[in-house]
Amino acid sequence: MTPPLTRTAHLRAGRQSEGARLVAPAVILIVAVTGTAIGAVVATSLGLLPLVGQPRLSADGFTALAGDLRAATQESLLIAIAATLLAAAIGLTIATTIVRAGHGVRLVVALAVTVLTVPHLVGAAATGLLLSDVGLAQRWSGISPASWPELVGGRWPWATVLELAWKESAFVALVVTASLGRRYADLREVSVVLGAAPRAQWWRVLLPLAAPALASSSLIVFVYSLGTYEVARLLGRAYPEPLPVMAYRLFTGIDVTARPQAAATAVVATGLALSAAAITLPLVRRLGADR
Amino acid sequence: MTAALTLSGISHRHPGAAQPTLAGIDLEVQDGQMLAVLGPSGSGKTTLLRVAAGLEQPEAGDVLLDGTSVLDVAPERRDLTVMFQKPHLFPHLSVLDNVAFADRLRGQSRSQSRATAQRYLDLVHLGDLGPRRPRALSGGQEQRVALARALAATRRVMLLDEPFSALDNHLRTSMHQLLVEVRAALDPTVVLVTHDLDEAALADRVAVLVEGRIEHCDTIQTLYTAPKTLAVARLVGGFNELPGVVRSGVHHSILGAAALPTSLAADGPAVLLARKEGLALTEPHTTGTATGLVVEVRQSGPHQDVIVEMASSRPVAATRLTVEVRLGTTLRPGDRTGVVLPGPEGLWVVSGASPQVAERSSTSMLTTR
Repeated sequence: MTPPLTRTAHLRAGRQSEGARLVAPAVILIVAVTGTAIGAVVATSLGLLPLVGQPRLSADGFTALAGDLRAATQESLLIAIAATLLAAAIGLTIATTIVRAGHGVRLVVALAVTVLTVPHLVGAAATGLLLSDVGLAQRWSGISPASWPELVGGRWPWATVLELAWKESAFVALVVTASLGRRYADLREVSVVLGAAPRAQWWRVLLPLAAPALASSSLIVFVYSLGTYEVARLLGRAYPEPLPVMAYRLFTGIDVTARPQAAATAVVATGLALSAAAITLPLVRRLGADR
Repeated sequence: MTAALTLSGISHRHPGAAQPTLAGIDLEVQDGQMLAVLGPSGSGKTTLLRVAAGLEQPEAGDVLLDGTSVLDVAPERRDLTVMFQKPHLFPHLSVLDNVAFADRLRGQSRSQSRATAQRYLDLVHLGDLGPRRPRALSGGQEQRVALARALAATRRVMLLDEPFSALDNHLRTSMHQLLVEVRAALDPTVVLVTHDLDEAALADRVAVLVEGRIEHCDTIQTLYTAPKTLAVARLVGGFNELPGVVRSGVHHSILGAAALPTSLAADGPAVLLARKEGLALTEPHTTGTATGLVVEVRQSGPHQDVIVEMASSRPVAATRLTVEVRLGTTLRPGDRTGVVLPGPEGLWVVSGASPQVAERSSTSMLTTR
């Protein structure tokens, strides 16, 4: 007779194989599209797909504007990390409110969904109108334009980060709320009857349960914030630009020989995003996304 | 002696509900005692536990622990815990850390709480599964861990909300045995909510809850032999009901006169209750027996139930009796048989009920048509 544990292992292996077969078409499509795009960008950045002239393997795309590329990388990381942390914190707070509150939950959910439906372009424009030195907030507060902090286009990307955090916190909140579901309500009651006060319920039950969804949604926010163009373009300063703004400017400029530099900028952004995914996905698994 | 847990005049109504879920519940559980709350689905059993635990607020009444009201005490600070119908183990914790959860909340170190948890895991015979994650456990193992976790909380009173109802018969029996072992080892004060009579039989006393009211609270033996109301009799099952009238210590029904124990001699309308295993079959038309027609022979566990339609002079009241017999009866539908009622010691009456009561019941073993 097959021992129970071995039978379980066989069943699990069978389920995994079945799952792999089911997702295979989607994986093939994604790898084909994304792989082709990344391959083309990498090849361009290395001088193998020049718009004019002969292909020549070279790292010039990365070295020609090394200083700008470094500054753009720092700016992009600053924006993405700050926006992600803020969105995660606000999103988790909203999710906590939704799963704990008995009344008014629908209103909070409706507000979150409404925020998600607003395009980033509109959000960025509205943020600019609200936070610039001649914006609505300045007028309502009565602070003179000269004394108003440089929230838009200033040294620190306040407005860019705030806009991204505002929109993406709603996304994080809904993902985390959906992941908690009814299970949290049941486990919260268990923790209560075992003696957990509200703070312990949050720390020992809600947070560990929300962690996989929080980590994976934060990864999406980070990658999106790293790659977003319109928000940083509308609300950020002229120099240093974040990577997507720089890549777009170089790619659409009149100097067609700058294409490898544009591609190199995109390769750096893609590399950062893939690195973030490589770090976070094992963490998501360790946090128990498969439980 | 002050009871460990007292529920006094508890009433509860769910928001928007026309009828109360609980209506004036009074219950006491003494220290070290186990009380089963038995009732059909929707009778308010779980709500009663949730009110006691503080997870629901009652409309009226009080919850007392050792004589002190805890109605205004938050559930996490009440000295009782609940084991729910589903195990609800924390998926992010190992089995050992699930059991150690309450101690960690009390501020004990990880190693201290794990050492204590290990003892409770040993108690439920799962001592070697501590490092596993809950998803690697079977349903029965999960319930054992949930029991260990509730015990490790070391609360004054433990409330069990149909904890074994989702398990198969074999596992349920082993959990019942485990509960007996745990009671012998720790002597906890327990309230067990169940709809299973076998499970209720584990308790010292059984409170029967029907439509939000306690109809009867006594030992399981009393419930089987002397139910206070028809509702209790029907919940316990196995009774034949014979509507009739008591006059001078004798019950008169369509089957004739049946002498009652002297303690049940109050005159008036009453339903005679006779357990199916208390009746016997005999040759038809034997002196002193009623004769009827076998209409069905039904398998009932290790026995057989013979349903006999009794002959009656009144055309509106053909009566069916269920008689439990050993396996291997040769009776078949269409056969005639005699039915012998037990003596006074095997009969019970529920006074005040009119024949119409029985007619309305679809669960009654005896039907009139």
